[in-house]
Amino acid sequence: MLFKRKAGRAEDTIHEVNMVPLVDVSLVLVVILMLATPLALESSIAVRKSGASARRADARTKTERIELNIVSEDSVLVNRIQVRRAKLGMTLRPLLNESEFRQVVVVCAADVPHGAFVDVLDQAKMCGALDIAITGR
Amino acid sequence: MRGSFVKPAPVNVKINLTPIIDVALVLVIILLITAPLVSAIDMDVSLPLALTRGAEDEARISLTLGKQGELAVDDKVIPFESLRTYLASELAKKNKDILVVIRADEGTPYEMVRQMLSEASAAGATRLSIATRQKPKGQS
Repeated sequence: MLFKRKAGRAEDTIHEVNMVPLVDVSLVLVVILMLATPLALESSIAVRKSGASARRADARTKTERIELNIVSEDSVLVNRIQVRRAKLGMTLRPLLNESEFRQVVVVCAADVPHGAFVDVLDQAKMCGALDIAITGR
Repeated sequence: MRGSFVKPAPVNVKINLTPIIDVALVLVIILLITAPLVSAIDMDVSLPLALTRGAEDEARISLTLGKQGELAVDDKVIPFESLRTYLASELAKKNKDILVVIRADEGTPYEMVRQMLSEASAAGATRLSIATRQKPKGQS
């Protein structure tokens, strides 16, 4: 046989699967997930700083705007009616449903923790507020 | 000595460049994706939890207020007194309509946040938002 293959030639072929690139890419993906997870979990609530516009809004009827006055960490005045922060949604939702513009003006006491302030904004958004204006004292 | 000489098998001395290029390209992609997101300074801030999401522009200016009252605009720590001028120059460089995100610790008194909002507004920021951490659904 002229073209007979020499014995032992087949040993040159690599049969093993190269795991190095696979492990490489997997590790990089793990690093990406570790870095990106906290970023993906961060969000924000859009607000509007309204000094003059909020003062002008005082002339509007109550159905057009709702005023939330955070007087303490646990207590909020909703159009001058005092409610507990935890129960804010029950009072706010019907008012927002009746409101045409779904605008909320938020006033907050200076010593209230930022977390409580954001919780009120969050509840207002969940109840359907479209525009959140923040006004200072 | 006939037949005793065995020619050694050729040694593969080439460096395998595939994994290096692989990792390098993935790193480039990571940097391209995360560079606009990682604009805020790495300050110890525990953001307040919220269920709602909104205002998630990639282009943004982050105002971070640390637990000790330290203030940073993106990754640059600045004194509070120069916030308005520094932010105004940043807005002029970028875009007046860029989203300005206030990142403050959940325990910070509201007065500090209100001052930041006022300064940002006075500097010409038109779009403001308050940074939050996503609250898992079902957690009240």
